[in-house]
Amino acid sequence: MSTTSMAKTPARSSAGSTGLTFGGVLRSEWIKFHTLTSTKLLVLFTFLAVIGVGVLSAWLRATAIEQVMKFGAGRPEAATGSGAPAMTMDQAESVMAAQGLNIYGIPNAGLQIGILVLGSLAVLLIASEFGTGMIRSTLTAVPKRLPAFWAKAIVLVVVSYVLTLVASLATFLISVPILDAYVISMGFDRDGVVSGIFLGGLYVAGVALIGLSLGTLLRNSAGGIMVLVALFFVLPFGTQLASLIPGDFWMHVNEYVPSVAGGRMLEIGHKDGFIDPAVGGLIFLGWILVFLVPAVAIFKKRDV
Amino acid sequence: MIEAVNLAKTYGEKRAVDGISFTVKPGMVTGFLGPNGAGKSTTMRMIVGLDRPTTGTVTVNGKHFAEHRDPLHQVGALLDAKAVHTSRSAYNHLLAMAATHNIPTKRVNEVIEMTGLGAVAKKKAGGFSLGMGQRLGIAAALLGDPQTLILDEPVNGLDPEGVLWVRNLAKYLASEGKTIFLSSHLMSEMAQTADHLIVIGRGRIIADAPIETIIAGKTGARTLVRTPSLPQLASLLAGSGVTLDSSENETLEVTGLDPRQIAQVAMDNHILVYELTPLSASLEEAYFNLTKDEVEYHSHTTAGLESVSAQASPEGR
Repeated sequence: MSTTSMAKTPARSSAGSTGLTFGGVLRSEWIKFHTLTSTKLLVLFTFLAVIGVGVLSAWLRATAIEQVMKFGAGRPEAATGSGAPAMTMDQAESVMAAQGLNIYGIPNAGLQIGILVLGSLAVLLIASEFGTGMIRSTLTAVPKRLPAFWAKAIVLVVVSYVLTLVASLATFLISVPILDAYVISMGFDRDGVVSGIFLGGLYVAGVALIGLSLGTLLRNSAGGIMVLVALFFVLPFGTQLASLIPGDFWMHVNEYVPSVAGGRMLEIGHKDGFIDPAVGGLIFLGWILVFLVPAVAIFKKRDV
Repeated sequence: MIEAVNLAKTYGEKRAVDGISFTVKPGMVTGFLGPNGAGKSTTMRMIVGLDRPTTGTVTVNGKHFAEHRDPLHQVGALLDAKAVHTSRSAYNHLLAMAATHNIPTKRVNEVIEMTGLGAVAKKKAGGFSLGMGQRLGIAAALLGDPQTLILDEPVNGLDPEGVLWVRNLAKYLASEGKTIFLSSHLMSEMAQTADHLIVIGRGRIIADAPIETIIAGKTGARTLVRTPSLPQLASLLAGSGVTLDSSENETLEVTGLDPRQIAQVAMDNHILVYELTPLSASLEEAYFNLTKDEVEYHSHTTAGLESVSAQASPEGR
């Protein structure tokens, strides 16, 4: 079949193009992203899971508030037998908020699933290229290398942000009637709701950038995902335990780990013993750079 | 045109490529021949910037590969048939590569047709046979209709029809004025494809010459003579610059005299000669002579034999 067809190697015109452009590299990375069935399934699963967990969490928070209003905070024996509520709605909400369960945070309640899956996907996006050898094709077409890295980063940031934004909005819209059934008023006018919906995606996109950096540094899917999980799901447990150690340093170290600082970014207002949300955001940005800068330097230099 | 100057690559203690300089010219097929581990692939990876040279430089069409504004139109490279994501289809793989240079989809379909991948283009590349993977790698290399084509072991795993196709393609593109640089450890393949040979062993270039020169150069012309009066003829032929070798009864291999001279001596002395055959050295022999001391990985079973043959031919390097 091919012996005969080679004779007519097409003229240059058919391969004619505008040469290497960043737009082209971006389009290439997007093609690579959406032509893997596993990636598409993972993104769909993440979307549904973020909404599912978020809505479930909204319902749990509503029932908890109802309980707290009826019986008071954690002391059922103190409940008055008269049937009069132990607390007002506002008091109950602040009791919940003290435990980190804000009503305004409901749109982002499913975010943990989002960062776990999209962060891992980001590791895979580049580590699988190293694993399969695809990276050599990629870097032969883009020998300056960095445009390929930034194109991957942009695809990941946009996908993570848009997915989280839509999922947060959907979580919110589904949660409104559920909360309404518990007479909890929920709307865009509640402080922290709109900012939470818009900021949640930034947090997930940041985690994706850290995942991409880990995949680039380690060149290994399993290793990259393990470090990511350790960083976002194991480290905060460790630092929380460490806060029991006497001394100011250990008391505050928990606030500075990436997941806590990033999570704080989505909250509003002052909280005793906690850094401000804006500071949390800056610390999280710092964490991104800690991984991104060496990853970029190594991606540019190291043999593939 | 590929130009390497003092190109070297060191991995830890090991010098994979040891300061080589060479030029690959357009309009011909240049073969890059050497045993396994000689540094062929490392050199090719350095040409396209996948590996960073420890010292020295290599340019393609006058510039470092990465400095070109249209790399895929400058160089098409098949360095590793497995440089593909296993879960992506061949078509999407090529489409993604083409997108970087805004190469139209039409061209993607063309290279798929050219390489005979039409039937499997929509299947996952991970399930491809070695030969199909090789065709996909060649398709990717041809995508930008490049001025320079670099193919590392292109016929590996191809069926005879595919081998013939690669051979014809290389020759055809060379005749179009393109630079073709292909590596192989198979001498017979090079003998049929290449116009010029660069032979490499243990990271150093041991020959860089037109293929005829390499075949003729290292082993002098030999003649096979069969005669019943072997000792008599041998003593008559012996002289300075003449090597005689007798491996079986009534058979003599003569180096340093041409058949006409041998026939003259035989006739003058009334010796019957019933065969007189000029033996042209094969590329294979030339190659073994060149790389005898440069082979990195001797197999143990032949190690003994090699030392015997080295004694038998003291002119070996």
